[in-house]
Amino acid sequence: MNLTDLFKLSGIVIVIIGLALRLRTTLVVVTAGLVTGLAAGLPLLSGEGIFQGVPLLTKPGQEGIIDMLGRAFADNRLMTLFIITLPAIGLAERYGLQEQSAKVIRKIAAATVGRLQIVYQIFRVAMGASGIRLNGHPSFVRPLIFPMSVGAAEATFKANTAEDVPETVIEEIKAANAASENYGNFYGQNLSLVQAGILLVFGVMTGLGYSVSTLKLVLYAIPITAISIILGAVQFWLLDRRQRRKADQPK
Amino acid sequence: MTMLWIADRIFGLTTVYVLTGFVLWVFAAMTFRDRANKRRCASAAFWSILGAVFVFAGSLPHWVTGLLVIAMVAIDGAGGVARGDYNESTEDERAEHARRIRDRIFIPVLLIPAVTFGLAMIFQRLHLDVNRGALVGLGLGGLVAMAACVRITGDKPRVMMNEGRRLNDAMGAVNILPQLLASLGVIFTAAKVGDLIASGIIRIVPSDQLFLLVLANCLGMSLFTIVMGNSFAAFPVIATGVLSPLIIKPFGVRPEMVAIITLTAGSSGTLMTPMAANFNIVPAALLNMRDQYGVIKFQLPYALTIWSLHVIVMWLMIKLF
Repeated sequence: MNLTDLFKLSGIVIVIIGLALRLRTTLVVVTAGLVTGLAAGLPLLSGEGIFQGVPLLTKPGQEGIIDMLGRAFADNRLMTLFIITLPAIGLAERYGLQEQSAKVIRKIAAATVGRLQIVYQIFRVAMGASGIRLNGHPSFVRPLIFPMSVGAAEATFKANTAEDVPETVIEEIKAANAASENYGNFYGQNLSLVQAGILLVFGVMTGLGYSVSTLKLVLYAIPITAISIILGAVQFWLLDRRQRRKADQPK
Repeated sequence: MTMLWIADRIFGLTTVYVLTGFVLWVFAAMTFRDRANKRRCASAAFWSILGAVFVFAGSLPHWVTGLLVIAMVAIDGAGGVARGDYNESTEDERAEHARRIRDRIFIPVLLIPAVTFGLAMIFQRLHLDVNRGALVGLGLGGLVAMAACVRITGDKPRVMMNEGRRLNDAMGAVNILPQLLASLGVIFTAAKVGDLIASGIIRIVPSDQLFLLVLANCLGMSLFTIVMGNSFAAFPVIATGVLSPLIIKPFGVRPEMVAIITLTAGSSGTLMTPMAANFNIVPAALLNMRDQYGVIKFQLPYALTIWSLHVIVMWLMIKLF
């Protein structure tokens, strides 16, 4: 590996260090792109039109880094199209979308902590598959799933208040609540043609010269999504079993 | 002929890009008038530039678009994209509305996926590009949902746009991150960074050992995600450096099949890393957990299991299909 090659990797190093230091992500990514391009000896601008023959900034016959950035950004506008759905979702939220969703979850919710997490994970997969983007931790987990789980644990431990449930159990419930949101969110959203992950893969693979179909991407995402639901169910079932045993122990 | 031409134009990506650009300009105008936003001028500039890119990028020279992107990133880098006041509804108001409107509130929200999927299916029937059908469907679905939502709630379009702005600002400049990451992938490809990574891996893993290459691919994806806290940032690097040159091309594998599994192998990394604070650390704080790593510890056995299954599923699918 020669020195130029090593410099080309500087972009990756910038991304890793920049994101690890929690610097502004947009800035880190674009800096990494510019540095990588320059290290590879690419010109800043294409030598066409008004920049024809400009020394230093252009090289004959090569696309400039800034042109490349603009072209790719324009080609991938599809990834940010979801903005057009925000007004309707926002107004629906103002008129009780979350409150009404909570009612639906309560209706189908099950009696134990573990089963409740299974129901919520599947609900979250369904949301993702419908193309709805949502940060469930503040909107569903904290206000709805956590109190419902504590209620279920009170029943298991035959406790009158949450204080009578062992603290380690409550802590484990909290972790399970956050986990069911993450499992459902991460592996469920790829069942939609227009979610960020599918569009990113579509954009990157198209950029690499492959002709890919978003529909097929969704189809090939199904096995992993199914596995994610089954594995979640197993983990939450084990959680139920652990809690039942603890509840049955003589105090 | 002319009818077809008109239909092609209306159901084209340009139409939905222009519409999205208009929505962004409305957000920008509202932001500019929002005195509660301490950086209202800079924020308004950011959203109007993004709107301009949506409306005009098809006809602008690429270098102009490139400079506009750099301008947006500079505004964000200087902390210029801030939030304002959205005259939010109270919990009581929402509960009151929920009692009145009930399940009808789901209609606009479900119209979005319904129109998206419906148009994708129609495009497929007509042997047109399904990808385009889905994206145009998403745009039209957004519009149809807006109309339905205004009708069902009886509220003003102005209020609706402001609610849209609330959601948009909640995400902020991170909105454009997937677009930037895809662009980074393009630059990496032009700089031949991928070839470099591929040649490095070939030194360790023999290029004819499919299973080991799949393992290296999934391991690389998760490790990058764990370090960066973002599987979307890791994907362009791994796709250009490992997946495409070492698996798809030499073994003639269907790109869709392995690409999406590579992405979710990254998600398994996200479950294990404190770098993905939004998903793992913030919820622990939100729930007042004693151990701030409690969520990660709970997720660890699940993440390791599903990661191993990614390797096996990807290898099996390549072998079987």
